[in-house]
Parts: sequence; C-alpha cells; structure tokens
Amino acid sequence: MTLHSEQAEFPPQSRNAVGAPRRPSLAAWKTTAARRMRAFAPVFVLVALCILIAIANPNFIELRNLIRIANAAAVPLTLAMGTTFVILMGSIDLSAEGAVAIAATTLVLLAANDSNASNFGWWAVLAAVCASGFMGFLSGNIQTGLRIPSFMATLGVWFIGLGVSTYLLGGSAVRLMDPALRGLALTRFLELPLSVWIALAALAVAIFIQYFTRLGLHIVAIGGGEDLAELSGVNPRRVRIAAFTIAGLFYGVAGVLAAAQLGQSNSVIGDGRLFAAITAVVVGGTALTGGEGGVINTLVGVLIVTVLGNGMVLLGISPYIQQTVQGLMIIAAVASSLDRLRLKIVK
Amino acid sequence: MLAAQSISKSFTGVQALRDVSVTIGGNEVVGLIGENGAGKSTLMRILSGTQSPDSGTLTLDGKPLRLRSARDAARNGIGMVFQEQSLLLNLTVAENIYLGQEGEFTRFGLVNWRAMRKAALRQLGKIGVDIDVTARTADLSFAARQMVELAKALTLEDSTNCPLTILLDEPTSVLARADIDILFTRVRSLKARASFVFVSHRLDEVLQVSDRVYVMKDGLIVGEYRADKVTAPQLHEIMVGRGLHSGYYKEAQQTPPRPAVLLEAAGLGVSGAFRNVDFSIREGEVVGIAGVVGSGREELTRSLGGFLPQTSGSLKINGNAVRLASPEQAVKLGVGTVPRERRTEGLVMFLSIASNITLANLGSVMANGIIDHRRERSVAKEWLKRLRIKAPNVDVACRKLSGGNQQKVVLARWMTAGSRILILDHPTRGLDVGAKEEVYELVRELSAQGVAILLLSDTLEETIGLSHQVLTMRDGEITARFEAAAGQKPAQVDLLRAMV
Amino acid sequence: MMERFSMPGAGALTRRSLLGGAAGGLAAMALPRRARAAGDKPLLVTSIRSLSNPYHAVWKTGAEAFAKSVGAEHVTVVSEGNSEKGIADIKALLSKSGGHMVLNSDPNDTPDARPIVESCFKAGAYVVTQWNKPSDLHPESFNPYYISHIEFDGIKSGSAITEALIKAIGGSGGIVALGGMISTTAAIERKKGLDQTLAAHPNIQLLDFQVANWKATEAYDLTSSLLTRFGDKIKGIWAANDDMGSGALEALRAEGLAGKVPVVGIDGIKAAVDAVRKGEFAATITSDPFWQGGMGLSIGYHAAMKAFDPTKEPHEHREFYGQTTTIAKDNVEQYFKTNVDSQPTYDWNDLWGRVVGPIRAS
Repeated sequence: MTLHSEQAEFPPQSRNAVGAPRRPSLAAWKTTAARRMRAFAPVFVLVALCILIAIANPNFIELRNLIRIANAAAVPLTLAMGTTFVILMGSIDLSAEGAVAIAATTLVLLAANDSNASNFGWWAVLAAVCASGFMGFLSGNIQTGLRIPSFMATLGVWFIGLGVSTYLLGGSAVRLMDPALRGLALTRFLELPLSVWIALAALAVAIFIQYFTRLGLHIVAIGGGEDLAELSGVNPRRVRIAAFTIAGLFYGVAGVLAAAQLGQSNSVIGDGRLFAAITAVVVGGTALTGGEGGVINTLVGVLIVTVLGNGMVLLGISPYIQQTVQGLMIIAAVASSLDRLRLKIVK
Repeated sequence: MLAAQSISKSFTGVQALRDVSVTIGGNEVVGLIGENGAGKSTLMRILSGTQSPDSGTLTLDGKPLRLRSARDAARNGIGMVFQEQSLLLNLTVAENIYLGQEGEFTRFGLVNWRAMRKAALRQLGKIGVDIDVTARTADLSFAARQMVELAKALTLEDSTNCPLTILLDEPTSVLARADIDILFTRVRSLKARASFVFVSHRLDEVLQVSDRVYVMKDGLIVGEYRADKVTAPQLHEIMVGRGLHSGYYKEAQQTPPRPAVLLEAAGLGVSGAFRNVDFSIREGEVVGIAGVVGSGREELTRSLGGFLPQTSGSLKINGNAVRLASPEQAVKLGVGTVPRERRTEGLVMFLSIASNITLANLGSVMANGIIDHRRERSVAKEWLKRLRIKAPNVDVACRKLSGGNQQKVVLARWMTAGSRILILDHPTRGLDVGAKEEVYELVRELSAQGVAILLLSDTLEETIGLSHQVLTMRDGEITARFEAAAGQKPAQVDLLRAMV
Repeated sequence: MMERFSMPGAGALTRRSLLGGAAGGLAAMALPRRARAAGDKPLLVTSIRSLSNPYHAVWKTGAEAFAKSVGAEHVTVVSEGNSEKGIADIKALLSKSGGHMVLNSDPNDTPDARPIVESCFKAGAYVVTQWNKPSDLHPESFNPYYISHIEFDGIKSGSAITEALIKAIGGSGGIVALGGMISTTAAIERKKGLDQTLAAHPNIQLLDFQVANWKATEAYDLTSSLLTRFGDKIKGIWAANDDMGSGALEALRAEGLAGKVPVVGIDGIKAAVDAVRKGEFAATITSDPFWQGGMGLSIGYHAAMKAFDPTKEPHEHREFYGQTTTIAKDNVEQYFKTNVDSQPTYDWNDLWGRVVGPIRAS
C-alpha cells in the first residue's frame, strides 16, 4: 500500500506545468503507452496461443472444437467472474469450491434425483444460487464484522461449505435426474449448449456491474486504497459485503452448471476449481493487489487457460509435462502484464 | 463562519491540543503554522471530522456542529485537501472527483458516466485548469493531482448550501515553485466562493497567501496576526517560542571534534535533487543540515546512506574514495542510518530487541553459520544497559517498545555493527520531551566517543543545539555554513535567511 | 494491512485437518476409557480417508453391518488425507480402549501403515490393513497382532476392463485412456494392466493416454478435447476409475455420443453401475468396499476373540489379493439387486473365501 510514497518524496524534476497536462511529455507518453501494452498483453498471449495451436493442428479452429472450448470455459468463466470482484478489492476469495459444492448439493437434493423424492425443478436452481450467495454474504460479514482477513474468512467458509455438503450428501454422489436441468448442459441453442449462453449472460451481468454501476466503481476504488476511498465517503463495509455476496451468486450459478454438466453432485465437485479461477483472473491481468483489471481481463484469462488445456491435448503433449507447461504459462502471462518497476516490494 | 472553541485532544499520554480556539471567517484565507508536532494536523483532522475532540465545540455560523466522519464534514461544506494526496491513482480524474458523491448521476445504482464527466470538467473549470477527466490519475503530475483534489473539494459547493471551507494541509510540500504560484493564484481567485485554511511550515508561503495567521506551538495557539502586519522571521521567533536554554540540548556535554576526517564530500550531487555539495565530518563532530522541504537535504542524507546513488562529485570515507551503490555497502563502510520512519525502515518490529540489535552484524554472533543466541543476548544486554533502553528483557519484540527506546535499539544496532559515521534522520520525530532529552544525551555520548554524526532534525533549534557545525541548504545547494561550538551558537534568524 | 495478513503457523492448517478434526477427534474424545476384560467384545475401529467419497461411504456401511452382526461397539475415524491426524486418532483410541481393539485401516499413505501397525502391536490390538503398506512391512513380523494386509490386483483390474472394452467395440478400433494421478500405485498398476492387454490385441489402437487426476471434471474437459483431436476414431474410452469414466460419459452425452462410445471404469460406484445397466458403460469393476469394511473387521474380531490363531495361518492369508467382481451387461441386474437396491448379506465368518493369491513382490 506504500507503493507511491516514494514518488511523493522525490517529485520528478521535469514536470509539466499544471496548465498543460493534456499535452503530456514524451516520457509520460511512453509510460502510458507501456501501460497500454501491458494491459493488452493477455490478449496477445491468447491470440499467439491460438495461432500456434491452429498451425500445429488445424482441427483447433473447427467450429465443433470452438464450441467444445466454449463449453469447457462455461463453468470456470462464471466462477472467475465472482472471484474477479473480490480480487479487484485487493482481497482474496478461497470459498469458491465450498460455495460450488453447496450450490450443486442444494440443486441435486431439491431437484429430481436418485436419493430423495423431491422435485422442485427450477426452484431448486434458485435455491442453489441463493444458498451460495448466502455463503458469500457470510464471507463478507465475517471479514468486515469480525475484522478477519479475507484469506482466513473465506478459507473458513470454504470448509463450512464442504463440510455441510458432505453431510447433506452423506458422502456419496447424488445424481441429477431432472431432464430440464440436465438440459442446461445438453440442450443446444444456435449450436451452443445452454450452459455457454448462461455463462455469457453471467459475463454480461459482471460487465454491467463493473462498468456501469456505482458498486463497480466503489469496488475498484477500494482496491486502489480502502482508506482513501473511505475518506471520500465510500462505505467499505457495505461494498465488501456486496462484492462477496455477488461473488457467491456467481459461484452458485457455476455450481448449477457444473452439476448439470456432470449430471451429479458430490462434495468434491468443486475440487481444483478455485485455483483455476484465481489463475484465470491473474493471467487475465487483474492485479492481486486490487484496483487494476476487471471482468473483461478475466474473460481473456479464462480463455487462455481453457485454450491451453485444449491445445495441449490437441498437440498430444505428454500429460506428464502438461502441468509444467501450465506453470510456465502462468508465470509468463503475469510477468508480461505486471508493471514490475512500480512494485517496490514483492511479496 | 466556522469556529472551534476550547478544543482539547490527547493521544495516549500526549496532549496534542490544549484549549484551542480558532475562527475562520467567510471568504478568508487563514494560515496555520507551527513546527512538527505543534498540533496543526490534529486540529485539521478535527475540523474535517476524521477525529473528534476530547472536549470543546465546533460551531458553524453560531450553531453547534458535531462531525463524526469526513462525510459529515462534507455535508456541512467542509472539505479537505490532504497532505498525502487522497486521490485513488487507479481511477480516472472524473471518478475521483465524484467518488462517494455519485448520487446525482446515479439511478438505481447505475451511473451516468457522461453526466459525471461533464460535471467534473465543470469543476475543473472553476479553478481554471484544463485536465482530461478521463485520464487515469496515476498519469497526472503531482501538481495536476493537487488541482484535482482542489476541484474535488469544490464539489461541495453543489452538494451543500453551507458556506464552503476548504482545509489545505501542507499542499505545497510536493510542489515545485512554479506550481505553488499557480496554486496560490487559484486559491486567491477562489476566495470569492470559499474560505481556506492553509497549513504549512513554509512561513513565506503562508504570509503570501493568507489574510490572517495563527501560530501553534505544543498544542496551543500562541499567536494570531494579520498577514500584512508580520514578517517571516518574526513568525518564526514566535513559532519556536521557547528561549534557547543551553541546558536542554546538553550543550555543556558538547566535546570539540577531533582532527581526523571520517567523511568528505566534494562536489557531490544527485541529479534532480542536489548538486555541488562540499563538506566534511570529523571524528566526534556533529554536522547539522538545515533546509526546508525540497532543499535537497533529505536526498543528501539518503545518498550518504547508500539509498540514492550519487551522480556527480566524489565521496571519501576514512580517506578512501568510494561510490555508495547500496545501503548494504554503506553499512560495510561503517555508515549507519537511523531512518525517520522507524516502523517501516529502521526496525523489524516483530523481532526481539536482541535480534534487531545484531541484525546488521550477524557475523559477530555467528558460530559455524549458526546464530549463537546466547552471544546475541549478551551483546544485547550490554546495550540495554549502556543506552538505558527501557525493556523488561532483550527478548521483547520491538513493537512493544516506546518510540524513544526503539530509536535507541536502532542506534545500538549501528554501534554493534561498528559504524563510525551515523546519519540521524529526524531522530526525535514523534518522541515526547523526556525521550528527546535522552536522545540528545546519546548524541553527546556518541560524539564524545568519536562517532561522526550527520543530523537532520525537525526543528532549527534542535539542529543548532546539537551540532558543531550547521550547513544550510536551499534548492539543492549549500547556501551557508555556521560554526556552532558550545556557547557560540548562531542565531536562528541568520540560518533562516539562508534557508528561504 | 500486511500485519493483518501474517498468520504464524498457518502452514499447518489445511482443509483436511480442519474438516477431519471435527469428525475423528471428537469421536475419540467421547469414548470412555475401558478396561480389558476377558470375553469382553473389543472396540471395532474403521480408519478411512474420507467420508466425502462414495467408495469409503460404502466401506463404512459394511463396517457398521458387521459390527451390528456381532453386537460390538464401532467407531469410524477419518484422516481427510492428513497422515498425522489419521495416526494420532488411532493412537488416541488405542489408549482409550486400553488396547482391547480391532482396527481395519485404509492408511492414508503408504508409509503410514508402519506407525499404525507398530502402535497397535505395542498396545496389543489386532490390525488389518488394506491397499497401502510399505513392501518391507510384513504381518508375520508383528505376530500375532498384525493379522493381514489386503490389496486388489490393479494390473488384473486394469486388464479386465480393457478386455471388456475391447469386447464392446468388437475387437478393433481406436480408444483413448484417462489415467489417475500420475504418482499413485493404483494409477500405475491399472495402466500396466491396460498396456499388457493391448499388447495382446494389435487391432486395438491406443490413440492417447491422458491424466485426469481421478476427477470427473478434468475427465469431462479432456474428453471433449480428445474428441476434437481424434473425432470418430474414438471407439471406446478407458478410465482408471469410475469418477473419470462418468466425467467422460457426460462429455460424450453433451455431444450426443452417450451409449455410442462405450466407457469402462473401476470402483463400481452407483453411477457407473447405472450406466452399465443403460448400456453407456461397458463395464466397471468393484473391490466391494462393503465387503472390505466388514471383512477387515471380521478377521480382526475373530483373532481377538481367539477364534483362530493368526500365527498358524499360511502366508497367503496374511498378505493377499482380494477377489474383485467385474460388472458388465450380463451380470449387472443381479449385482444391482443384491448390492445396490439392498445391502448385501455376507457370511462374515468366511474369512478367507475371497483370497485369490499372495501379493506380488514389487
């Protein structure tokens, strides 16, 4: 948070007069240009990745494969939308897997399933999303009310979610039998499975929240400096609770999609998704320190991660080195998008 | 008219404000001056609602006023331009100006960005600057940001019917001369629509822009003057107040320096900060550097500590020519820095006293690559005694110590590391009177032991009192040298003339 | 800001330790210290990895069914993947029961078996281990308390489902395989079974082998990518467990290929058995966790009640491969009736009925 104190102590000597900031000096233009380049680095990475894979295996750009990529990206995208808002505030949300488990569990237990007699249809979806949203609301309140760092607060909520869903499912996998809900993954509209359309709708909602609402502005402001935002009259507590709740709602939608895709829910349905989501957010160029980036970055990040996974299979890269390639990719993407010169201390 | 009556405020044992009363009339620029720690900032925080007084009242046009938050203050027409700029660098100019007050552009949570940008442009128009409202604030110069802050404060005009009072807390400290002039022009032209409180310790500036001036000292208002009836040296006299009594700075213990020169700078410079600096420090000598913010003295000390590499001139330590490239190298050559921000720079707060003391010279307590904690503790105990550090034992974490004792731990560290040259960067900042005296005594002892000391201090009085020699800097250059042997101390007025 | 984030000792805190702490630790606490008395029934203890996977959930039902059949007290402790916790819980129970205890353990990790066996030996409690033990740890070295170690031949299972898959696709064509987490013994053995069988069938082409880490979600994504790469060439999908198999099946379903491209898996979970019934899975294999949970305790119980003397048993009763059942189209209805719709009823006194042979030295 003290990144800028240095500048305050040593004001650059060759500064423009106040009257003419519209005509920036060459140096200023260069830094701006460099920042723009960095902002677009993830897009370049994505495009380069696509071109390379397509050259190596033209099947990659077949419509069928693009649809498969979209389908594979649906759950991570929805999930990462939620994580983005939390990370934009400079917090972290580890509760995604627990929230997904809760949503998927609620869904299968309330919709037609092979374990009990309930059959609430679409109400089950609503209940699932609300249950997960409540988990987010809980995270937000624990963090602001008990003043616990988001890392620990959401870690706790993660376990709570996992524990509750394990208990509810009795440890077994319960299958989703409602054909309408399975249809979310199996029915297609304009070639794309409904789950992809839902993920796109989630993206639209996220874009709307970030770029068009006051809440979005306040989330970014808190990420830039919570104390300063508070001085300007922003209520950080309310914003935090709202952001975590919104994240929970997105996780809920992701949980519903995951259960629809796999046709079942067990308490480990979210396993591995948290890291994928955070990776996508960071690879997309959203700073873990908050205040920079956003949901569009995350879209790019999710696509990078998904395309990479798809591409490695298409290129026949040995599964034994796929993880290594993924790791290198993450480091490369983050390195190209970070303004490392401005980071005084790297933790 | 905004008025404060009999305001008192104390923080854990320190009385920051004592029975302070001020009034700010309509369309008036009121200056508020005082040394660091005089209580200016506390008063400003109370006026802006971010702190509440222990006793006393605020009134607005005669009606009592209770401020519980910055928002409260804003509702009553009081805005503040903060010393550390309060803009969020990751937002655009327009977003910053209206952050927290998006109400008028918001419907059902939706923000009408076009209307906001237009309004922001209008606000900037009020102060006559032309800044791209869609630019990211991080891309603006400091001066431009200061203007944006001012514009942000002026939005209060639209959101409240109260007369506007804008508090400017040291707004000039990060500005270059030309920008300061522009700021002052704006303030004067805005006087028609608002009152201003202008806090600074640059006396000439305060006189230049204010109608009336309050002088604060030790939490009290010690004077109130019309700006056209008083001069800067006069104000300074009042501001510093207490007559020099030699005992306070342990002048009797001042020992003359020895002939050997430990550090010698010739034509030293760091581009953009200072240039052509010549001076030397002898064994046992205390050299004080006086200068206002921006004089280059801060950068000079950082440069000598290895934090800011020199770009011109030469530097000799113990007679050998050196170029300091890093703090680590400086430490190896025997130059220790006692930094101003002990919390962030000087001490590792969660480590014990013992670990902190031996941090710079672990080699002396290591055996076969392993830290010998018994040795470490015995070294630390020795220092606890020698420097009279008040702590139950050497295993206590440094964050539990008082400021003065923390300062002593830093000193002990450098002494352990065998530093013969110490840079004391505002060693008494934030300390109470008793702790200050202890630091003064330490400085005397160190000097008597032959340690060469470069001193930067918060007050002129302290600089003069402690030093054998005082250099004054202005705009990056040394402007004068004063001998300050015990009993022959120079007058502050003379120094001041060379500083401003 | 930073200060609030520093968390001394946070490294030791994992999701497993948090979750498991509630389950096992409390169970251990609640038990009264009991004295050992002749003829008194021993405390039956089941130590498994987690309750959140269907396999171990069935294991626990089997254990409970056996406990009920002999009317003995039964406790389940869950390690949640945390070896220290798993061992500590067992030690706590040993001291509470004064050693009058029977343990049937699926050790969380291979090295865990040693401390578990050693502390049971010291306390005089009877122990049976399953799946994981170091190869130089032998029941005979801890007579009479370490009775048996049970495993299931991964090579044989891997091979059996490969045969079933080959049969389902008519003896020729391309298949893809999804393996488990690279470093685990089960994954390695099952893959070996796959490789051995394929070597005998030159008409079958293994198009690609991918690793889905035992997870349905990863198998789902990998399968759709594999469909892009190989398209119609994929005639069948081999999965090293049923979870991955059902992930692959759902990916096929999304492309309208469920039932057209047969899938095989191992474990015999309910979803897989259902899929076999519907003709979407060609086969799955079960080690019968219900039997594992019950019989492990039964062997220990009979030894503790002096019904037999472990030291007199042949080596192949001390370290053996248990019998597995391949569930395919022809026997699925029968299996469903006995094992899914109802609880199977086994003769818990038939201790060695499912021994198929001694464990290979690796």
